[in-house]
Amino acid sequence: MDQEMERDDNWKIESFGEVARVYGKKYVLLLLPALVFLGVFFLVPLLIVVADSIRSSEGEGIFFNYFAFFKDHVSRTAYLRSIRIGLWVTGLSAIISYPTALAIASMSNRTLKTVFMTLMVLPLMTNPVARTFAWLAVLGRYGLLNNLLLSAKIIEEPIRMLYTEGAVLIGLLQLFMPMMILSITSALENIPEDLILVAKSLGASGFQTFVRVTFPLSVEGLIIGGTLVFTGSITAYVTPAILGGSRVLMLSTLLYQKAAVVLDWDMATTIAVMMFLTTLLINAGLRFIGKVGRK
Amino acid sequence: MKRFILIALMVVLLAVNSLYFGVSRVYVSTWGFNLDLLDKNISKPFLEKYGIEIIRELGNNSTRLTKLEMQKNNPRIDVVHFADYYAALAKKKGLLQPIDVSKLKNYKYIYDFAKDPIGGHYGIGYTVFSFGIVYRTDRVKEPITSWKDFWREDLAGRISLPDITTTQGPAFMMLMNRIWGGSEDDMSLDVAFKKLAEIKDNVVTFYKRSSELINLFKMGEVWVAPVARFAWGRLLATGLPLKWVVPKEGMIGFLNTVSIVKGAKNLENAYEYIDFLLSEEVQYAEAMDLVDSPINKNVKLPEEVAEKLTYGEDHIKSLIFFDPNVIVEHRDEWIKKWNEMIIGK
Repeated sequence: MDQEMERDDNWKIESFGEVARVYGKKYVLLLLPALVFLGVFFLVPLLIVVADSIRSSEGEGIFFNYFAFFKDHVSRTAYLRSIRIGLWVTGLSAIISYPTALAIASMSNRTLKTVFMTLMVLPLMTNPVARTFAWLAVLGRYGLLNNLLLSAKIIEEPIRMLYTEGAVLIGLLQLFMPMMILSITSALENIPEDLILVAKSLGASGFQTFVRVTFPLSVEGLIIGGTLVFTGSITAYVTPAILGGSRVLMLSTLLYQKAAVVLDWDMATTIAVMMFLTTLLINAGLRFIGKVGRK
Repeated sequence: MKRFILIALMVVLLAVNSLYFGVSRVYVSTWGFNLDLLDKNISKPFLEKYGIEIIRELGNNSTRLTKLEMQKNNPRIDVVHFADYYAALAKKKGLLQPIDVSKLKNYKYIYDFAKDPIGGHYGIGYTVFSFGIVYRTDRVKEPITSWKDFWREDLAGRISLPDITTTQGPAFMMLMNRIWGGSEDDMSLDVAFKKLAEIKDNVVTFYKRSSELINLFKMGEVWVAPVARFAWGRLLATGLPLKWVVPKEGMIGFLNTVSIVKGAKNLENAYEYIDFLLSEEVQYAEAMDLVDSPINKNVKLPEEVAEKLTYGEDHIKSLIFFDPNVIVEHRDEWIKKWNEMIIGK
């Protein structure tokens, strides 16, 4: 009887330790399918790519490719541009997504909430290539946006918006913002309502409650969302290729050129590893900011 | 019992074998376009006349080249179709064998420029396309007559040019180098790169596919661009007021070639196939269906077909050919310089 009670209490699982207590050591078995899959299709290939990038196939010594990567004006510029656009997309999507997520999380009407959540996820269900092509119709010189600005007499001549960094930024923002909204929303929804009630009962104003309770507890969502958006932005190929074109060379388009056109596999693997390391670094950076922010 | 099964198996195997080898075949590696028309114009009549069945392996140039490289020691393919650049690359990699042109009855009927485009008789041009200029007659006031018109101020922001990574890109740069006074032996193409840097901001985008360019015309983004002739029909279909210009400096000519793979197992059939491909009959049929422009000089085409193809005395006479072997040698270096030009110092 006692044991039953204890089990009941444990249904609210909050950490791996508790999972272990409930299921015994067998929980490791639960991980097996994912571990095998990722091991074969992700970890091993990743290690091969990393190893290939470190030792040059032409025998110029280890890490030669990385020296070449940073020495070359072209790859350096493409790299910095990718990081810059990635950070802009991440920052902007955080600013736009947070209020949206807050509104969705605080909706008490279930139906309304479902409708909004569906609206948020809907863009993720359309093909990214189709979505990117749709931007051509919006951003073109005779597109929606230019026509709007022209008829509002804000501009006199159509502006060239396609094939610029701005076009890539807008395309990526629309592509990845749902991930940010979803992560923040789920973080906000995980905050126990009791905490907010306690804060209020202790005399905190709505603003104080937000700054000292709600926001710090939702930082995890921002970090996860930020990592997803940033990773997506610097690795995306279709959007920079279609909206940026050959004039806006980015890391992903350079990678394609090296791998598919010039067949320079050394440099292609090096770029791939640089992308990977950069996302790891950004993730660590975001976590660090989150930790400092919570103190 | 065991022995019986074994014998039965051997009989079946032999039967399958004789069936399989009974029909004479030729294995052809080519693009996956217009397959129904290729069947109608080539496969069917070839099977009827020569009793040889054509088996095609499809893909773009680079995938098929990679496949050929992997099968180097035991090639499955007998005949390969390539854009001239890839043919030169395949020759350099030692994947092809010279063609004994004396075995080809139709060889003497083709244009001289198609006879040995990559040297050493490693390939024969079986179709040609020109690379000229197309412009919007309703938007461009002063007619386009020269490649130098891309440097005109009134066209700034309304032009598109081929990216260096396209099939036409390197030859385009070689022509620009020549037009702007660069030396014919100077393969650095410094003159062309310097001139192009002047107008790179006037270029809407450097296109990578002809379909991308057609879209740019359709959206009204681009008024003038160099265009490969095989895209001309589709451009006309947009209904825009467009004109094809043969610039006074000439147009660039590109060939698609046919080659025999080194170690080809059906050599005789390969020769029959190539000869048939060059014949007036096939060249005419392919032209009438707008698949490929003819290189057989005997082919006579009606006006409405000719104007969509690379055809006609003046059109053909204006063609300038650049050696694909030179492009193979220098392309990577040019792509590097191109990237630097785009990024700017």
